[in-house]
Amino acid sequence: MSASAVAATQKFEILVDSFISKLKRRQITGSFSVATETCHLLMRVISNSRWTNTDEFIQLIRGVGQRLIQAQPREFAAGNIVRRVLAIIRDEVNDSTPSQIALSNNAPLNTSMFQLLSTNTTTKTTSKETTKAQNQDLRSVVIQGIRELIDEIASVHENIELMTVDLIHDNEILLTPTPGSQTVLNFLLKASLKRKFTVLITESYPNDIEECHKFAKTLAEAQIETVIIPDSTVFAVMSRVGKVLIGARSVFANGGCVTAAGVATVCECAKEHRTPVFAVAGLYKFSPTYPFDRDSLIEVGNSGKVLPYEDSDLVGKCEVTNPLFDYVLPEMIDIYITNIGGFSPNFIYRIVLDNYKNEDVHLD
Amino acid sequence: MSDKTVKIDASNASVPVKDPATATTTANATTPAGETKLTNKELKELKKREKAAKRAASKPANSDASTGANSSAGNPSKTQKEGKQVAASSSHIKKQMNSAKIKESNNKVPPMVGHLETREQRISSSPQIANIVHPSIFSLTLKISTYKIVGSTSRCLSMLEAFKEVIKSYETPEATSLQRNLTSHLSHQIEYLKTGRPLSISMGNAIRWLKQRISVIPIDMKDDEAKSQLIDEIDLFIQERILYSDKVITQSASKHIQNNSKILTYAHSEVLEKLFKFCSLEENKSFEIYIIDSKPLFEGKKLAKRLSSINNIQCHYNLINSLSTVLERSDIDFCFLGAHSMLSNGRLYSRVGSALVAMACKNKNIPVLVCCESIKFSDKVQLDSVTLNELGDSDDIVNVKPFNKKGFNLEQYLTGLKVAENNNKPQQQQQQQQNKKINDNNNNNKSLKVDDGDNEILKNWKTELPFLNILNVLYDLTPPEYIQKVITEFGALPPSSVPVILREYKSST
Repeated sequence: MSASAVAATQKFEILVDSFISKLKRRQITGSFSVATETCHLLMRVISNSRWTNTDEFIQLIRGVGQRLIQAQPREFAAGNIVRRVLAIIRDEVNDSTPSQIALSNNAPLNTSMFQLLSTNTTTKTTSKETTKAQNQDLRSVVIQGIRELIDEIASVHENIELMTVDLIHDNEILLTPTPGSQTVLNFLLKASLKRKFTVLITESYPNDIEECHKFAKTLAEAQIETVIIPDSTVFAVMSRVGKVLIGARSVFANGGCVTAAGVATVCECAKEHRTPVFAVAGLYKFSPTYPFDRDSLIEVGNSGKVLPYEDSDLVGKCEVTNPLFDYVLPEMIDIYITNIGGFSPNFIYRIVLDNYKNEDVHLD
Repeated sequence: MSDKTVKIDASNASVPVKDPATATTTANATTPAGETKLTNKELKELKKREKAAKRAASKPANSDASTGANSSAGNPSKTQKEGKQVAASSSHIKKQMNSAKIKESNNKVPPMVGHLETREQRISSSPQIANIVHPSIFSLTLKISTYKIVGSTSRCLSMLEAFKEVIKSYETPEATSLQRNLTSHLSHQIEYLKTGRPLSISMGNAIRWLKQRISVIPIDMKDDEAKSQLIDEIDLFIQERILYSDKVITQSASKHIQNNSKILTYAHSEVLEKLFKFCSLEENKSFEIYIIDSKPLFEGKKLAKRLSSINNIQCHYNLINSLSTVLERSDIDFCFLGAHSMLSNGRLYSRVGSALVAMACKNKNIPVLVCCESIKFSDKVQLDSVTLNELGDSDDIVNVKPFNKKGFNLEQYLTGLKVAENNNKPQQQQQQQQNKKINDNNNNNKSLKVDDGDNEILKNWKTELPFLNILNVLYDLTPPEYIQKVITEFGALPPSSVPVILREYKSST
C-alpha cells in the first residue's frame, strides 16, 4: 500500500513539475494552449491522485493551482482553469451530499440569519469520510467535467464567431491593435464570409511585428481589404474607424483586461473619438481576481528589440524598457464578446461568479 | 555612411542629366567618359543655352529613356514612329504615358488616402526640368528624399543654404533681368526639390519671403551686387527667423524645466534639442527625459544619441507602444512637443504620433507644451489628419531596415539598364557594356546589402497580395484641446491665438 502510494505521489510530482518547468521555460504560451494543457494536466493529476475525502481532494487541486500560478503569475489561464475545475468538484460534492443542503434549506429563517453571521465551520466539519466507491464516482464525474471544459475551450472560436453578423456592418472600417490574437483573426475571417469590410492592423512593433505581418497576410489572402499601419498612426486614422476590435489576454472581474502593449493608448484614442471598442475573449480568460497592482500584471520583454545592436552606443547611457502588455481600464471597453455572448464590462463580475466559487478566488 | 550617400547621390544625379547628355551626344557624336564630372560641365553648358531649345532636346531624350525603361508592348513601336519626327507633341504623349504607367504600377495605396500624392507620382510629375537643376539642389533633394535630412527646421535651413549656392552660380541670361528671371529659375529648382518630398510649411514661408525679396531688388542694381545682397539677406533670415528664434524660445521654455523634473518628448525636434542642451549645459539643471519614438524614422534615437552624452540628463528611450506604461510609472511633469506647423485653427501638424502622445498626456493631466518658431505658422485650416498629409513609402514600414534602398530615379535607371542590356547584343557596344558591368556589380553589391533588411513574410506583398495595403503617413493633427501652450519667439500663447501671431507676423514683415 505505502509503496504504491509513494509511486503515485512520485508520478504526480513528475507530472506537475514537468508542466511547471514548461510554463517557466515558456514552452507553453498563449492563453489558449495554456488553458488546454492545464486541463490535460489536471485530468492526469486527478486520475493519478490518491485521497480519502473530498476536502483532501480539493486541497490537492488547490495546491496544484497555487504552484502553477507561482510558476507563471501572468498566465492567468492556468489559474482560471484550476478554479473552473475546483468549481466542478465543489458542485459535485455539494450535489452528492444533498442531505446537508436540504437541511440548511429547510432551516427556519431566524437560524439562517444566524448562520449568516456565524462562520460556516459547521459545514466543513460535517463533511464525513466518503467511501471508496463514492470517491471513484467523483473522480470519473470530475474528469468528465474537464472533458467538457476542453470541448468548450476548443469551440470558443466558433461560438464567438456566431456573433460576427450582429457586430459588423457592410463596408465598415475596423481597427485591431492586437495582431497577435488568434481569436481576433478567426473572428475577422468568419465575418468576411458575411460582410465586406476593411481591417486596419497596427504593427505593434517591436514585439508582435512578425505576427502582424502573418496576420495581415492571412487576411489579405482571404480577400479582406487589409491595411497595415504603424502604431503611431492610430490617432490620424481613428476618425475613419468604425469599430476597434481587441483581443484580450486575460479579463478581470472588474471588466479590465490585459492585452498587448500599446492597446491601452489605442483604446484611449478610440474613447476620445467615441469609437466603440470590442474585446473578444474566451471564457477561460476570465479571471476572478481584481487587478489592484497594475505593475505586477505587466511583463517586461527584451529591450534589445527596442534598441537593436546597431545602436549599442546608447546602451548604458539610456534606459530602455519594453513592456509586453498593457492594462486596459474597464471604461475604455464597450463590450466583451465571449463564447457565451456579449457582455458589458460592468457585468463581468457576474459571469465570473457563475463560473468560479468564491472560496477559490485566492488559492493560497 | 556618408561615402555611401555620395555614391548613390552621384549615380542618381546622373540619371536625369544623362538623358540630355545622350541627347546631345547624338548631335555631337561624343561619348561621355567620366559621368559625374561631365554632368556638372554639361549642366553649365546647358544653362547657357536657350531654355526652349533645352526643353526640346531633353523631352525626346526623356521619352526615349522612359520607353527603354518600361518597354511595354505598345510603347516602343510608337516611339519609333513618332519619336524622331515631331519631338514636342510626341514627348507630351510619352510623358503622359510615362506618368500613367508609374501610377498603374504603384496603386498600392490604401483607399482612404487615395487622394494623397505618392512619391512616384511626385517624381514623375516634372522630370523634364532636371537639366537646369543646380547640383546642390540635386544632392539636397536626394538627402531629403532618403530622410538623411529630416525635420522641418533642418530641411528649411539646408534649402536656404542650397539656394545661396544657386544664387551664387546664377547668371542672368541675355534679354532679361535678374528680378524676373531669378524667380523663375528658383521655381525650377523648387519644382525639382518637391520631387524629393513636398515642401514643409517653413520652406514654403521661406520661399515666399525670398521671392518677395528678389522682386524688390532695384532694377538698376548690378547682378553681382544683387546676388551678394540676396545671399546676405538669406543669412540674416536664417539668423533671425530660425537661430535667434530658437534661442528666444529656448530661454522662455527653460523655466518649465527644473532640477529633477521629468520631461516627456516625442521623436526629434531641433528646437527641443537646443532647449534640453541649454537647460543642462548652460543652466546646469539636471533632469530626466523620456523620449518616445516610433517606426519608421526613429528620430528619437537621434535625440537620445545627442543627449545621452550629457551628464546632467538621464535619458529614457521608449517606443510609442509603451507610452501608457511610461505615463503610469513615472511622474512626468511636462510634455514637450516640436512642430512641423501650427495651423490657423490652433491645431498642431507634427510628426505622426504626436497627437497620440498629446492625448495620453492630457488625459493624465500632464501639460503639453509646443515649441514652434513663427516661420512654421500657417494660415491653412485643417480638421483631420487624413485629408491633407504626406505619404511616405510603404516599403519603409515593411522592411526591417528601411531607407538603405536605392532612390526611385536610380531604380528606374537600373531597370532601364537591365532592359537595354537584354536588348543589346554584346558585340555592338563593348565599352558601354563594360561600364554597365561595373555599374551592375556595384548595384548587385548594394542590393545584396539591402536584402538583409528585407522582410520575409511580406516580401512580395505588392504583387502577391492585392488586398494588402500599407499606410505610411508622416504627419498627424493634434487638436488644440490637448495643447496647453505654444511657445514662440513672440512669447507663449494658447493654441487658439495662432491666428493672432499670423496677423502680427504678416504686418511685421
